[in-house]
Amino acid sequence: MAVVQGVLLGSLVVLVILNRWFRLRRAARVHPRRLAVDASLRRWIAGTTPLTGVLVGLARLPVTLAIDTLVSWSARVPGERWRRLAVALEQQWWARLVRTNSGSARWWKRLESARFLSVAAVPSDAARLVRLINDTHPAVHIAAVAALERIENTSLTLAALERLPRLPPTVQAYYAAMLQRSRPAVVQHLGKRLRRVDDPALPRLTEFAGRLAEPALRECITALAEHSDREVRIQVARAMGSFPHRESVTALRAAAADASWEVRAQAARSLGMITDASTLPLLRAALRDEMWWVRLRAALALMRFGAAGRNALLEAEVGADPATRNVAKLVLGLPAQALAEFAA
Amino acid sequence: MSTVASIVATTDLAILVYFLALNSFYAVLLVLSIPEIWEQTRVAEDDDFQRLMQSDALPPITILVPAYNESATIEASVTAILTLEYRNYEVVVVNDGSRDDTMEKLRHAFDLYEIPRIYPETIPTTSLRALYRSRSRSRLTVLDKENGGKADSLNAAINASRFPLVIAVDADTLIEPDALLRLTRPFLLGREIAAVGGTVRVANNCTVQDGRVTDARVPGRLLPGVQVVEYLRAFLFGRLGWNRLGGNLIISGAFGLFRKQYVAAIGGYHTSSIVEDLDLVVRLHRYLRHNKIRYEMPFIPDPVAWTEVPESMKVLSRQRERWHRGLIAAMWTYKSMLLNPRYGRVGMLAMPFYAFGEMLAPLIEVLGYVITIGGFAFGMVNLSFALLFVLVAWGYGMLLSLWAVVLEEVSFRRYRRFGDLVRLLLFASLENFGYRQCTVWWRLKAFASVWKRTHVWGEMTRKGFAATP
Repeated sequence: MAVVQGVLLGSLVVLVILNRWFRLRRAARVHPRRLAVDASLRRWIAGTTPLTGVLVGLARLPVTLAIDTLVSWSARVPGERWRRLAVALEQQWWARLVRTNSGSARWWKRLESARFLSVAAVPSDAARLVRLINDTHPAVHIAAVAALERIENTSLTLAALERLPRLPPTVQAYYAAMLQRSRPAVVQHLGKRLRRVDDPALPRLTEFAGRLAEPALRECITALAEHSDREVRIQVARAMGSFPHRESVTALRAAAADASWEVRAQAARSLGMITDASTLPLLRAALRDEMWWVRLRAALALMRFGAAGRNALLEAEVGADPATRNVAKLVLGLPAQALAEFAA
Repeated sequence: MSTVASIVATTDLAILVYFLALNSFYAVLLVLSIPEIWEQTRVAEDDDFQRLMQSDALPPITILVPAYNESATIEASVTAILTLEYRNYEVVVVNDGSRDDTMEKLRHAFDLYEIPRIYPETIPTTSLRALYRSRSRSRLTVLDKENGGKADSLNAAINASRFPLVIAVDADTLIEPDALLRLTRPFLLGREIAAVGGTVRVANNCTVQDGRVTDARVPGRLLPGVQVVEYLRAFLFGRLGWNRLGGNLIISGAFGLFRKQYVAAIGGYHTSSIVEDLDLVVRLHRYLRHNKIRYEMPFIPDPVAWTEVPESMKVLSRQRERWHRGLIAAMWTYKSMLLNPRYGRVGMLAMPFYAFGEMLAPLIEVLGYVITIGGFAFGMVNLSFALLFVLVAWGYGMLLSLWAVVLEEVSFRRYRRFGDLVRLLLFASLENFGYRQCTVWWRLKAFASVWKRTHVWGEMTRKGFAATP
């Protein structure tokens, strides 16, 4: 038993050392090839060499590294030129293999495929990309949705939009950024969804609509201002700040008196974004709200009203209520950058 | 005589079986950590994730920095924290009634001005002397309070925090610039995260510039060197393995991200606890299970914070004794969770492992040494049995330490020099001869302290990073 254990320990040590040696050798072999591809890509962009050189170079790299190269160069090459490369890649053996992997049972193969298609997809890849956007592995669908930056396809946009409400907030925000590029299709579909008042996805869709700040969606959002779901009202109050309109102001006046402090806080923030002079008394009153977060939001909003808001805060700073005094003093003393960070 | 011999033989066999079971469980953790580390490295290397991690989509974070008598390092530490690669974060530094000029240093370095307190005291703490913001660093808030200990400082910082995620960082810990980005990865993966831990590595002998580790080295001296292997073992397979079993009980206090609403719901850190991070995590598990909230507390290996480990036996012994005392206290305080099916895998797997494995191991190991050596001397234990005991207790331990080095080598490879790799292998092999027995002794002393109800924190003497090559 001691001998077996000794052999095992010895072989582990040898394994570690061999692994290091093998990796160093591999890096020494592959690195020059990667540099050669980078050089040929540079020349191709400058128009001094044909595309064939790039394709040959990419084919000589390990697939993962070839995809890495494409991802890192995709942002640097002008659109039309990059599309030519994407079309040319369609015929490459390794690219065909990567495309096939979009249906693989292994998530890392699908991830590889999604990463490749996010930068090198052609219109015929739409069905593959829809499947990848609906993938169960988060890394795969996050990679696939980046294809929306390069491909305009309604089915792809709708697949991402359908998935968006079911995603956690962070990933949702990323999807929203990607979907902003396919605005016409998104606005049309979102308009329909926002009219379904019993849709459980409504809070998330309202949040997304707020991010888009698309005037065509204002009416749909305002109509939800008195929704029974608190989360919807919070998102509506937040979104309305992006729509400076008298109907928004009316809805925000009501939201400022909502039973939920989160709605009141978002309403104060949005009123600060719209800066309608008639809402100044409302924000002054909000400085005395029972919840400190609403008081802070109201004070920050007042700072956006210029001299009038500042005067209101200066008055509050010497007022009778200690909580109001404190919040006014804090906000009046904040440097411009801190104010922007607080108000975000 | 034959009765004594039979008792000795039976006890020795029982101890052998205990070690076999314990080490086999470690081996299970190791096996489970392999797919975990593979998946984590795969996603960590993904460029799209990097892009997502640098977008506006990331959740805002408050970094809590308790500081007590940190005059020598506070400016550099806070400056390093303020330059982390993350879009939306704030830093709350708490001067916990320092007796040196920590507060003065902060005031001078960051151009602080006093502001009124507008937030409520959600978690009770010792009284606040003053609250400051910085004119030069808009992300920075400083709290000056009466001394109340680290847990109390963290609670005060939680009260003052604005954001839904909080991360506790020791003032003397060096966080890698992209560590926060990496730490938020589980949130991007859509998991229901209550807390997440990153890796803590040993900074001794590393080159540090402007509060950043620029060249990772393995110390040449035995004591810190062996601790490098220990940390690798604890983080790379211990905690990764527990990810798969769903029962991570330790998220390092030096580098762990928590959802504030849950921490506030359990009343924050316990000021009376000896090891506040273990205590907090166990209470979080208990609260979340009680309230049937779906949650995960994963450990992810690639976000890295560097810390200085003790280089003298005296300081190390105090640290290890305190850690073990904290473990005993936590196991005793939360004994109702032990083998309680209501707490799922935490109650049925993690708590028994920590109670019967980690906590009792030093007692049983010492018993094993005494009985084996005594039995061998009096001819009650034969040589082959004594060797078997050594193989199971030490040989297996050595195997696991070497595996930790293997995991490091196939995943993150922070130590680029071949010499460092050789040192790691050497320390992994030497750990079981002398060092292990010392740690057993220190941990055994923790039982005595608990018995005598001694509650001493034990001061950590640090060399500081400026002196490193």
